[in-house]
Amino acid sequence: MIFDRPTSAELVEAVSEFLEKEIKTTLPNHLAFKTQIAINVLNIVKREQENKELLTKESKEILLTLLSNQEEANINQLAEQIASGKLDLEDKKLQKALIEITKKKISVDNPKYSTYKKLIK
Amino acid sequence: MSEELQLKIEEFLLKNGSKGKVSELVPLTGGASAETWSFTFSSKNKSERMILRRGSGKKSPLAVLKSEEAVIQQKVKSSGAPVPTIVAISSGDKDLGDAYLMGLIPGESIARKILRDKKFSAARQKLAFQCGEALAKIHSVNLNDFDQVPKKPIREELKRLYLTYKSFEQPLPVFEYAFKWLDKQDFTTRKDALVHGDFRLGNLMIDESGLAAVIDWEMVSIGNPMLDIGWMCINSWRFGQSEKVVGGFGDLEEFLQGYSSISKEIIDPEEVKIWQVLGTLRWGVICLIQVYSHLNGDVNSLEKAAIGRRVSETEIDLVDLLFLGGK
Repeated sequence: MIFDRPTSAELVEAVSEFLEKEIKTTLPNHLAFKTQIAINVLNIVKREQENKELLTKESKEILLTLLSNQEEANINQLAEQIASGKLDLEDKKLQKALIEITKKKISVDNPKYSTYKKLIK
Repeated sequence: MSEELQLKIEEFLLKNGSKGKVSELVPLTGGASAETWSFTFSSKNKSERMILRRGSGKKSPLAVLKSEEAVIQQKVKSSGAPVPTIVAISSGDKDLGDAYLMGLIPGESIARKILRDKKFSAARQKLAFQCGEALAKIHSVNLNDFDQVPKKPIREELKRLYLTYKSFEQPLPVFEYAFKWLDKQDFTTRKDALVHGDFRLGNLMIDESGLAAVIDWEMVSIGNPMLDIGWMCINSWRFGQSEKVVGGFGDLEEFLQGYSSISKEIIDPEEVKIWQVLGTLRWGVICLIQVYSHLNGDVNSLEKAAIGRRVSETEIDLVDLLFLGGK
């Protein structure tokens, strides 16, 4: 990598904190609400930047338990094999894979979501 | 803009036999597909608060026209379900376009306030039962009076949702699984009824004694009444209060008791679960529709972009319901 610090995640975090601490408080309600959405979006980007390598690698390992062909072990194939009936709905390995991959997605998108918090307890 | 609208409303009311003045015309935050305004109408002997609901006039596959929405509410009123009183209906290009005026129902529709404010604490105790009663009344109307309402048999509706999801070319294994799982369920146990289609906090006016009115009828259809029951019980509409299955405020048992007190129908929680899966998936597809309206450049907005990353909320709710004993 040729880029210096701050990393992209660190830059995004700086903007997010600026909006939160210096901008949001000065705005009327409806704009403060929109600014909160902007902050949430930046925080998604930050979490994704920080965790995507690990989460992608772990997801690949899960996919390989179901789709043995290394090249075809991706989300598209998983969706397709469920749709075509190649993977059985009763298959516990499939169910486990869907649970684990979804947890990884939501850990980036919204780790405060009630169902996620309940499931990682 | 609002001055012109003020005059238009006065003219329109005059045409409908009410002579008076419009004041305090203010826009209310509402759905994306319609504008909502509130105002005071003062005539010779009285002054009352009213609401204007106005659509774009374009036919949408998701929503009925505002003028149709108004007629449906007028007819539902005779079932005894709490609905607003329609004052006048405008349609076509004349008058106010596709729009209607209704009496303002005092109360609160913002979910977070209803769920958290102290002044609604007594209302929250009764609300699940009242919602059950109201839904049963809506579901009891005679369908012969509702020819103009679109028919949406659930199998066709699921097919339509699946095709919509597929059209975005963003494969989601959990959605595929849920569609496949729903294909195997039995949906033949209920008779067709008038279905509100979006019965949840946000579309219910609540006052201190509970449910005051069921509003926002734009997703109304004739179909399986369980759709409304399941929709009210999905985690997406609990606004963070996920331990309370019904809307974040009530228990399933009270809701179903309220429903059967009017309808005499017994509903098994296992059947509700099927419709929670369906409702969660339906909300997930609606999120996709919104984000792709942003990504395809039709309506650029931060909110619509952000909603794309809420699809995984519906996925985690689906795996919880399907595999982990979620309620």
